[in-house]
Amino acid sequence: MKLKRLTACITAAVITAGIMAGCGNSQSAESTTKAENTTKTESTTKAEESNKTEAANKEADNGNQEAEKVTIWYYWETEGHQVALDKVITDYNGQQSNYEVTAKYVPFADFKKQLSIGASASELPDMVIIDSPDHASYASMGIFADLTGKFDVNQYYEGAVNSCTIDGALYGVPFGVNCLSLYYNADMLEAAGCTPPTTWDETLETAKKLTKDNVTGLAFCCLQNEEGTFNFTPWLWSTGATSYEMGSEGGIKALTFLKNMVESGAMSKECINWTQGDVMNQFISGNAAMMVNGPWQIPTMQSEAPDLNWGVTLIPKDAEYASVLGGENYAVIADGNEAGALSFLEYATAEEQVKFMMNSFGYISADQSIAENQFEADSPYLPFVEQLKYAQPRGPLADWPSVSDAISLAFNKAMTGTATPEEAAAEAQTTIDGIVK
Amino acid sequence: MKKVKKFFQYDNIGLLFAFPAFLYMLVFVGYPIISNIILSFQDVTMKNLVRGEKHFIWLQNYAELVRDSVFKKAFFNTLLFTVCCLAIQFVIGFALAVFFNKDFKVAKPVRGLLMMPWMIPITITALIFKFIFATDVGILNYILKSIGIISKNVEWLTQPDTAMAALICANVWIGIPFNMILISTGLTTIPKELYESASIDGANKLQTFIKITLPMLRSTIESVLILGFIYTFKVYDLVYVMTSGGPVNSTHMLSTYSYKLSFEMFQYSKGSAVANALLVVLLIVGSFYIRTTTKGEET
Repeated sequence: MKLKRLTACITAAVITAGIMAGCGNSQSAESTTKAENTTKTESTTKAEESNKTEAANKEADNGNQEAEKVTIWYYWETEGHQVALDKVITDYNGQQSNYEVTAKYVPFADFKKQLSIGASASELPDMVIIDSPDHASYASMGIFADLTGKFDVNQYYEGAVNSCTIDGALYGVPFGVNCLSLYYNADMLEAAGCTPPTTWDETLETAKKLTKDNVTGLAFCCLQNEEGTFNFTPWLWSTGATSYEMGSEGGIKALTFLKNMVESGAMSKECINWTQGDVMNQFISGNAAMMVNGPWQIPTMQSEAPDLNWGVTLIPKDAEYASVLGGENYAVIADGNEAGALSFLEYATAEEQVKFMMNSFGYISADQSIAENQFEADSPYLPFVEQLKYAQPRGPLADWPSVSDAISLAFNKAMTGTATPEEAAAEAQTTIDGIVK
Repeated sequence: MKKVKKFFQYDNIGLLFAFPAFLYMLVFVGYPIISNIILSFQDVTMKNLVRGEKHFIWLQNYAELVRDSVFKKAFFNTLLFTVCCLAIQFVIGFALAVFFNKDFKVAKPVRGLLMMPWMIPITITALIFKFIFATDVGILNYILKSIGIISKNVEWLTQPDTAMAALICANVWIGIPFNMILISTGLTTIPKELYESASIDGANKLQTFIKITLPMLRSTIESVLILGFIYTFKVYDLVYVMTSGGPVNSTHMLSTYSYKLSFEMFQYSKGSAVANALLVVLLIVGSFYIRTTTKGEET
């Protein structure tokens, strides 16, 4: 039975090849290694620098102290963001000798996983910069230090502070805030003889007028995940309903609005597969006349499409103006180097550093006193500062991911026509009631 | 001493050589599996992951899953996906293998080229198919429209049924080379003399195929199908990139649903229960594979 053995051998070879191909090529693996490499090089250069400063300090005070290490995890993949954070860290390491801060990039898709694995293996950093709606979930894990009384957040936007407050205790500090607003292609609106819509009826009407050939009137991310929920909540809240009242009249109304937008063709059904970045690309390539998106897209839009004539205005309202608060929070890990993390936090939240980071990020400072004079009079960011007044945070709730899942399932059902808005809303309400008792 | 000596006689020495591998399997395969089974009997979520207080709730996670419509859908989807992919890629792969087994000039280089889909990282394949199936800018709709088969763009990835078809289509493209190359190898092992004597006896093409090719390939076919089943059943990256289980949970597989439960909704125990369902099915199929291969060796 030599033949069979031969077959078996070849099969085995093919399998091995397959396994190897499978391992080596998964994108996430690659990006992780890449990230690790960059952080490695970063940290080596940083280490070298800090060695220099250390040496300098030793000379100065015959130093018998060694810098304590403070690690930070973050998930920004945009190069500009990484460079900006890096500069602040390098400056911090250069101006004092007690602590040496290093930052590690963890991809957003892996961040929750890494942090929960790290938590169970007791291998956590000293500080993390995380997505604000997840703050409550992580805090309920008990991995964050209580910062009540250790950090002054009086000047900060209330919504932002709420996102890191659980049962009256402060478990983090807002890094920067953003919210969603309506972008419009000014030339397209002018050609169609429209003005930016302010109500839902106007939105439908304007979007229909703007829809022709390859152009759809309005686009925003409707993915069946947190990103989609983020983009849906302004519409839901505008009716007066809260995130936990999907089954209410307001919830049904918001779902019906979306369904009508999709059915009339004024909004592409493909929005359910588009990330916010995809939506921005559709907008700057002229495939969408209006979009809902955040201020962090502005730097990219300015460099990718400098000739595009666009404007930003409030998201059209039903009963009241509404938007959703996004952004990141700093959080200090409970059993980590708390003193070091707080020291860096004080440095990084000072006006000079905040202004530098916010401007390179395309963010708005969470510190209201800084935010109000952060921008020039004609800055495209100003409408977002105005919209921020109407922005609320999601949650904060430890089980927010499950609530968010129910909400995103509902608008996906309504948009694809898998269920009527009434059915989708009722189903979401049942799920939410099961979570929020 | 005598006993030790006796132990190392004959086959027993083989056990010693196998020991490092056994240890490796125990640590890196056995431990995770057992730990995962224990996890699925507990109520671990984000809240008690760090703080301890993990309670045993035994079969409650499984009971909840049986009532969970998404789980049922995911289970059915995984089976449907696997069976459809296997059937289509096996037939096409077989046909191509027979075709390239013919001795013509470019047979070998072209057969090599056909391996390409299998070599490309799945994430990249998935992204390419996502573009192909895009509603407004996808090339598939463009082609179908320009030759007049459809008049309105088909929403491939945003409708439950077509999204599943698109996934199957992408996976078949990846799977064909795998089937083709294994069957090609099997074909080369059939002695030419059999065909010669058959033709002397006046057998036609169809008869030689049914009476010689198929029976001689039996063990190859069994291997191909079972391995194909295992590969396809645990599909993850393709689905995650192309649809992430959507629209409306309609294309969730056991693997993607397990990931979603564990790392998006932080219900670790429930997620591991789904993973165990996947494990059980693969164990059953895997045992068939071991049975057929060992049977082959004995004869």
